Amino acid sequence: MSPELRPPGSEEQYEFTGAVGQDAPAVEIAPEAQPQTPGEWIHRNLFSSTFNSVLTVISAAVVVWVLLQLFQFVFVSGDWSVLKANLRVYMVGRFPLDELWRVWLDLYLVMLLVGLSRGVLPRRPWTLRRAVTLAVIAAVAVGLVLYLVESGRVLALLGVAVGIELAGVAIGRIVGPRLRAPLLVAWILAFPVIVIVLRAFGGVKPELWGGFMLNVIVAVVAIFVSFPIGILLALGRRSTLPAVRTFSVGFIELIRGVPLVTLLIFGIFVLPLLLPPGLDLPNIVLAMIMFIVFSSAYTAEITRGGLQGVPDGQYEAAQALGFRYPRMMALVVLPQALRNTIPAMISHNISLFKDTSLLAALGFFSDLLSVASRATRDLEFVGQEAEALLPAGLVFWVVAYSMAKWSQRVERRVGVGER
Amino acid sequence: MAETIAAAPPRPPLWRNVLFRRIVGQVVFAVLLVAAGRELFLNLEFNVAQRAQDLGFGFLNSQAGFPIGEGIEYSTGDPISRAFVVGLANTLRVSALGLVLATILGLFIGIARLSPNWLVRRISQMYVDVIRNTPVLIQIVFWWAAVFLAIPTIQNSLSFFGVAYLSNRGAVIPWFRLESGASTWRWFLLAAVVAAVALWRWRTRRHERTGQPHHRVRWSLGAFVAIAVSGFVLTGTPTDANIPQVLERSYEGGVRFSPEFAALLVGLVIYTAAFIAEIIRGSIQAVPKGQREAAEALGLSRWQQLRFVILPQALRIAIPAINSQYLNLMKNSSLALAIGFPDLAHVSSSIINQRGHEPQMLLLMMGTYLTISLTISVVMNILNRSVAAKGGRR
Repeated sequence: MSPELRPPGSEEQYEFTGAVGQDAPAVEIAPEAQPQTPGEWIHRNLFSSTFNSVLTVISAAVVVWVLLQLFQFVFVSGDWSVLKANLRVYMVGRFPLDELWRVWLDLYLVMLLVGLSRGVLPRRPWTLRRAVTLAVIAAVAVGLVLYLVESGRVLALLGVAVGIELAGVAIGRIVGPRLRAPLLVAWILAFPVIVIVLRAFGGVKPELWGGFMLNVIVAVVAIFVSFPIGILLALGRRSTLPAVRTFSVGFIELIRGVPLVTLLIFGIFVLPLLLPPGLDLPNIVLAMIMFIVFSSAYTAEITRGGLQGVPDGQYEAAQALGFRYPRMMALVVLPQALRNTIPAMISHNISLFKDTSLLAALGFFSDLLSVASRATRDLEFVGQEAEALLPAGLVFWVVAYSMAKWSQRVERRVGVGER
Repeated sequence: MAETIAAAPPRPPLWRNVLFRRIVGQVVFAVLLVAAGRELFLNLEFNVAQRAQDLGFGFLNSQAGFPIGEGIEYSTGDPISRAFVVGLANTLRVSALGLVLATILGLFIGIARLSPNWLVRRISQMYVDVIRNTPVLIQIVFWWAAVFLAIPTIQNSLSFFGVAYLSNRGAVIPWFRLESGASTWRWFLLAAVVAAVALWRWRTRRHERTGQPHHRVRWSLGAFVAIAVSGFVLTGTPTDANIPQVLERSYEGGVRFSPEFAALLVGLVIYTAAFIAEIIRGSIQAVPKGQREAAEALGLSRWQQLRFVILPQALRIAIPAINSQYLNLMKNSSLALAIGFPDLAHVSSSIINQRGHEPQMLLLMMGTYLTISLTISVVMNILNRSVAAKGGRR
């Protein structure tokens, strides 16, 4: 199946364009009204028929009711003391206080890279809509931080992070596109550096990593390490060697057929039994291994889809040039195949990031969801389950949603499916 | 001139022969794989022996000894294998119910995504954007801890007309109590279903042949009700409603859903419906525009266009993708582990906690999930083939 022929919305596909044939869609979303008076617009979009009017009234009532409830909960009845008291735990878990500078250093490193990348990437034109959206987001973020963070020191440290990001943007703008290649290398190197900063030189054991930081680290480890493994598995699945193909197919289908939870249970309880005695890996490392295994199988299937989209002529041309298998794949086939997989890869990575919340199902870790659901065990905060859990959900949502939006833009820019 | 012809080129050495290389490569791969597998197995044997356990399945017949909150009949004296089956039944129950409800909800939201009504469109889009980008486990835990456990205690149960109750001990709804004569009545019910189906087909065929209105719903439903009710009276009213009552600390009668079951079901349905809605939307948009225009030209109403022209084609396109969402829902039901609903994963991990035997239990659990996955896929493939076979695009 080429990517074009893949069934709509297979796996957790985020943006399905619906273009199966060349035909235009059967049911069109009503175009935004242009030369209309507001009255006409309202008539056309809300009260075009009796049925539509009833629908509008009912849904408006529901929306108003929900918004009122939400407003009432957030600003009146909600008791956010559980969040204020546990803010640090939400972010880094039981990370030792004396060593927190390591986390800040890592944050600054990431902010610098983010800033530089934003500076180097082509600027998006300013529209009124974008400016308003950004202003609202910034206002909400600043308001939230000022409300939640009471320590002036932490506020100052956060301010430095924003400053570093903006400085990065400025440097990126000044240096320009020739910074792109070094930046790519820097991003790839950043991950080991971040782990070294946390772990090495008398650092903190992975058992003590926690909070949102742990979710991010597990997701990034799984994404990075599973990528090459997934490519190898995909090549194995398409190999003409029966032994290699059978192994790849078996591995991929086994992993994809069972729930991630069972894989994690396997990692915690059975994987140590399979390893040589005396090799005591911490639970979190075992969990990371299983996340890598899980992600590899899915990455392999995505890569396979991309490989199938590369026309036979490309293989033949490479062979005609005298390339053997490794060079043919590395220089001709894979670059084209991987380009086609970018949207699916990003949506898989978003899913994987969301799936790191499954660490909480095992009860061994102090990831974001675990600390959020344990926070209300404290007698002081009993009954504040909603206040404790909603922020955790919000953090995941903000990251996942902005990544999804970003991937839609990338998809448009890369122009997948347009050639 | 014959002398100038070069001698036949020397045979390439064996190690350059493609066939030879392929065979050697695979043998090396297989040997490495077997060696790695052997190493892992030896480690496993050693480590398991160190814990004074074995790799057999005999423990499945020993007494389980731990309680299970809900599900089919079970007592702590039953063997471990029975506990496993209870977990499997709970997984199947929540998955089956979830599949049906998620499909219905997803279909509605998917259609609402394309509504001509701006407000409806926006609401459904917001639903999809929020639900899809939040981890399903957080949603399930939220429903459980912040909703179903936070509603009133059983003494202050929310009452619905005095026949159904909702509290943090779960929900109860009225159900039927079967009495003697019920087994005879079952045959009447079966006959009623057969008659209804037969009438439906007859009316459809007649309608297709003569073009007269079919009224098949009226005919089928009428026949079903007539046969069922007459059977009910003839066998001496074999059932009556079992209306639940609130006792001091528990419910009596009716059918009870625990907060865990409710939270898992609601969480899975709401999450999966968002994905199904997107598939439905994409599939509807993939139906060629001419189909809508043709339906419009025939004078069909908007609802008729959707029901008779667009949806039959859209659902055909959607089935493979919906299949993978069904699989996801079934696999996500294992998140019951986090909230303590005794499904396959939860019961298996209880067994591991009580008895060890981790390798065997994992083998059983993964094998079972794999089997369920395959079954769903096979059923969906059959469905796919049957709708595709009616002609059309493929």
